[in-house]
Amino acid sequence: MSIDKELREELRQAADSMNCPPELYGRVRQSYQHYVKEKRGGSPMKKHMLAGIIAVAILIPSVVFAASYLADDIFGSSAIIEQHGGIQEDYEEIEGMLQEVKGKLTEDEFKEYMELTKQLMQLKLKITDENGVKHEEKLSQEEQQQFEQLASRLVPYFEKLNGTTEP
Amino acid sequence: MNDKELISWIEKAALGDESSFQLVYQATNQDVYRTVAFLVYNKQDIEDIVNEIYLRMWRSFHTYDPNRPFRYWLHGITVRQVQDWKRKTWRRIRLFERNRQMTFEQFEWTDKIVLQSEMQHELFSVVRQLSYKLRVVVILRYFHDYALVEIADMLQIPVGTVKSRHHLALRELRKHFDMIGGDVYVY
Repeated sequence: MSIDKELREELRQAADSMNCPPELYGRVRQSYQHYVKEKRGGSPMKKHMLAGIIAVAILIPSVVFAASYLADDIFGSSAIIEQHGGIQEDYEEIEGMLQEVKGKLTEDEFKEYMELTKQLMQLKLKITDENGVKHEEKLSQEEQQQFEQLASRLVPYFEKLNGTTEP
Repeated sequence: MNDKELISWIEKAALGDESSFQLVYQATNQDVYRTVAFLVYNKQDIEDIVNEIYLRMWRSFHTYDPNRPFRYWLHGITVRQVQDWKRKTWRRIRLFERNRQMTFEQFEWTDKIVLQSEMQHELFSVVRQLSYKLRVVVILRYFHDYALVEIADMLQIPVGTVKSRHHLALRELRKHFDMIGGDVYVY
């Protein structure tokens, strides 16, 4: 037998033993359907990207806006102080004060300041009714102690902020 | 099934007719799969490439020259897709990892039937060991019966190069052929 003939024969036999796996059909079909969709309605990828860009464009300003309110960290939102006789302007004032404090303290100091103020404000809110009138008797003895403790821990910060302590 | 029918199916499939797609797939999948499996050995890679070949088929249907046989166009797409795959560098990086598992995967793909046929068919096992460049010429010449000029056209290389690769491949194959059952063969 010539090598040509033998080669052809062996390749044919080898090919007969290599069968396309039936499960490949599903995959090729899926790609085909994807191709058809793309052809008809423009790339779904592009649409997703466009939707993504729009979503980000909407989100960015609201994130920036939300992040700029330090007072939100303490009260949650301006609605909270409005329930206790405050108004939006008060909230803005507190915000202004906090921004000022942030500029004067170091990052770690400010973090602690915020934490203490938050706890203190929670207690203050508790004793303040919807007309802004304080009722200190509403606090339990334990809460009163806590209040004093928080206030005394904040004193060094106030002193530093008012420039009454020597560095 | 003739070329004309098949071509009209592909045309419809390219426009989005799914039943035509099924007909095209049924008529061609074995041919495509086997051609790729002669050139690439990893089962996962073969399937990836076959999938890409079909996509290429719909996308570049407009390049089909009706004066040429359909299979010529199909095999052109097939070898080009295999070559594209070989060219992609990121796949080469993956190959590094693959090489480690190679022993396993080779066996997984070289399933029993192929192993058996390799034992019985020494020549085929030599073909499998040829370098890709030589092997693709052998497959197109002896499995698909293309003339060397046509092979040059498909691979987009000069005919002289095809001739020399063909020559080198045959010399390699002859060495083994003479050693084993090439009894009737005379130089």
